[in-house]
Amino acid sequence: MSGLVEFFADPANWSGSTGIPMRVWYHLMYSLIALGIALVIAVPLGIYVGHTGRGEASVAGIANSLRALPTLGLLIVVVMLAAPLFSSSLVFTAPAILVLVLLAVPPILTGTYTGIQSADRSAVDAARGMGYKPSQVLLHVQLPCALPLIISGIRGAMLQIVSTATVAAYVSLNGLGRYIIDGRANSDFGQMAAGAALVALVALALELAFLLIGRLVVSPGLRRSVRRTRMPGAVEPAA
Amino acid sequence: MNTVWLSSNLSWIAELTFAHLWLTVVPTALGLVLALPLGWWAHQVPRLYGFIVGSSGLFYTVPSLAFFVLLPGIIGTRILDPLNVVIALTVYTIALMVRVVADGLASIPPETVQAAEAMGYRAFQRFVLVQLPVAVPVILGGLRVAVVSNISIVTMAAIIGVQQLGSLFTQGYSLGLMTPIVTGIVLCLAIAVVLDLLILWASRALTPWRPKEVAA
Amino acid sequence: MIVFDHVSKTYPDGTMAVEDLSFTAPNGKITVLVGPSGCGKTTSMRMINRLIDPTSGTITLDGQPTAGIDKVELRRKIGYVIQNAGLFPHRTVVDNVAALPRLLGERKQDARDRARQLLNLVGLDESFARKYPWQLSGGQQQRVGVARALATDPPFLLMDEPFSAVDPIVRAQLQDEFLKLQETIGKTIVMVTHDIDEALILGDQIAVLRQGGRLAQIASPEELLRAPADRFVADFVGTSRGYRSLGFIHADEQLTVRHTPAAPLGSSAAALPPGSDGWLVAVDEQARPLGWIHRERIGEVVTAEAVDHAGSIAAEDAPLRDLLDAALSSPSGDGIVAGADGGYLGTVGTSDIVAAIQRSKRGRARPADEEAGDRA
Repeated sequence: MSGLVEFFADPANWSGSTGIPMRVWYHLMYSLIALGIALVIAVPLGIYVGHTGRGEASVAGIANSLRALPTLGLLIVVVMLAAPLFSSSLVFTAPAILVLVLLAVPPILTGTYTGIQSADRSAVDAARGMGYKPSQVLLHVQLPCALPLIISGIRGAMLQIVSTATVAAYVSLNGLGRYIIDGRANSDFGQMAAGAALVALVALALELAFLLIGRLVVSPGLRRSVRRTRMPGAVEPAA
Repeated sequence: MNTVWLSSNLSWIAELTFAHLWLTVVPTALGLVLALPLGWWAHQVPRLYGFIVGSSGLFYTVPSLAFFVLLPGIIGTRILDPLNVVIALTVYTIALMVRVVADGLASIPPETVQAAEAMGYRAFQRFVLVQLPVAVPVILGGLRVAVVSNISIVTMAAIIGVQQLGSLFTQGYSLGLMTPIVTGIVLCLAIAVVLDLLILWASRALTPWRPKEVAA
Repeated sequence: MIVFDHVSKTYPDGTMAVEDLSFTAPNGKITVLVGPSGCGKTTSMRMINRLIDPTSGTITLDGQPTAGIDKVELRRKIGYVIQNAGLFPHRTVVDNVAALPRLLGERKQDARDRARQLLNLVGLDESFARKYPWQLSGGQQQRVGVARALATDPPFLLMDEPFSAVDPIVRAQLQDEFLKLQETIGKTIVMVTHDIDEALILGDQIAVLRQGGRLAQIASPEELLRAPADRFVADFVGTSRGYRSLGFIHADEQLTVRHTPAAPLGSSAAALPPGSDGWLVAVDEQARPLGWIHRERIGEVVTAEAVDHAGSIAAEDAPLRDLLDAALSSPSGDGIVAGADGGYLGTVGTSDIVAAIQRSKRGRARPADEEAGDRA
């Protein structure tokens, strides 16, 4: 524990390219880039699957088998296969981000389509009966009703990304995981523990941020039902 | 496929597989056992539901690699001790299963539980003889998710040097060899399928009373 | 005997669920608690087996205060039937019924044998025993619920909206069978319902509760209809009170039964008795009444097609309401009366029935259950 305190007390660790602010920045930046790409892919696809009911079985199947796929193995395979394809500056970053996206898509996808499907059938019927067009039903009824599950899916994806981005330091991705990997290589337990603590803090902070976002954007009329709706696989385990 | 590497490392691979199974099954079982009373408590006292489920869920937020590294500092184990992995995974399983158990208990028709209470079942008799058997499909459904993700999480421990199938990944990376990595992934998936089917089978065996068409 | 003595229930937030409730549920009788939602009827019932504890006042079972009895012991002496039955989905029907005896240590085989007898008693044959609850209809589940409540032969039975979750036809059938069952088991029953008609059918006495858990009136069904204590009770008991109250009054001996000629199916028109102007009562081979038939519609012989079925047929021991209905629905203006064996007895005129009603109003009416054997 003393090593941990020393690490944080050392001013050298608070500046420069290996300093804490820079590493936090990289960790967050890579995470947000991956999340952004995953959102662009998964939300429209989830809306399509949820709204039409098409491809539901295969989406669920893929999401489940991805959960069983060990992320560390996946990360290493993709980096080894893809590294030759990228120019030098992107050689580790791009494959790692690709894996982050790959892992973030299933929870968002599952959250979105189960959310849309679980929108109260009678509310959807009522909207149709009132003369809403399909697109209006989607925009004004299904999506707002699906928001709690969509946000919960995004939250799961975010945790998955932050967690995997830590591990990705093993394949040289910049970020907080580097403290753990480098610390391990130099048997510097203080540095490892500091990295782990920072990662945990970042993850917790993001979790709280998402809880807050959920409070702000989800209609209070829907909040009660969140607990009742079980959504297998939308919140992925930290990896 | 590099068959030379494969054949010369068979016994090591078997050891790693066994270690991996051990590191997965023990914490999953332990986590389930500990989650039962916690989930019951969260269900029984609705005011505590948010607190119990929320705070156990927070542990879930901590990335596994960070968890493995932080545990020695907290409980005084050595960094290489597999106990760190067992404890971390037990905590993850509890975090996942507390909510599942509580929601499983909540999914039982209230009149069923009320009937048991009015018939004079004591609280413990109610839990063991009525609530738990009826909640089996939900609880074991959650356990399938837990065990499959635990298999994946265990591999992370290779980075800090705890031996299991994840060691094949780090080995392959440092040697620049694809064979160990693919072998590791295949074995992980195989273990996942086997354990998943085992739980599914157990769930069916424990619930002969369910309508056949929905007993999935 | 279950006695409520100044029982109140106040929740921590100050809500008064039940206020100063006193009444007695006599042994062997059905006491129905009825009232609008939020009147505390369910709370009152659940205080009997201490699923809810009263804030003040005492409830005694055969003179013993429930507060002094261990909750679990108390509940095992009181059968409990609830809406949707609340069966254990993971147990077969027979093991649902045998659950409590098994819990109390009875041998498996003995408990199951007794459970099968009870299932028989509630009208479920052997083939249901090995089924699981999901394979049963709502009405069948409710029967199992009743059998389960009787499994330890408790002297008391609490029933919470027992027949509300089934459709009206099944409900009427269950109510009917339940009354017959009660004749043989003679339990002391407290039942809760929101349905005043159910209360009037099943209750030996009815306690009407108003919002806030105060007792508005406790009386026999007949008295409740005849003399509601106030506007609230009157409104709750509902419209057509006068007509429905006739369901609890029987005709006296002065009611004239006319001997309108019968027209057996298949008999020739020529063989019919002379003198009767138009309407005859068609009867079948066993002389059971079928309906009215008009002389002009009879050709060579009396045929089933010519029978008018509009008029209802009242049993001779039926209350005045049934007799009046038979007369009002009849094309001839008179009601057909059938004997206990189902055979044709005669007809009664509307004016004669009205006269009988007026006589009963002048004080000669007696409650239905005392007069069950009397003739119309």
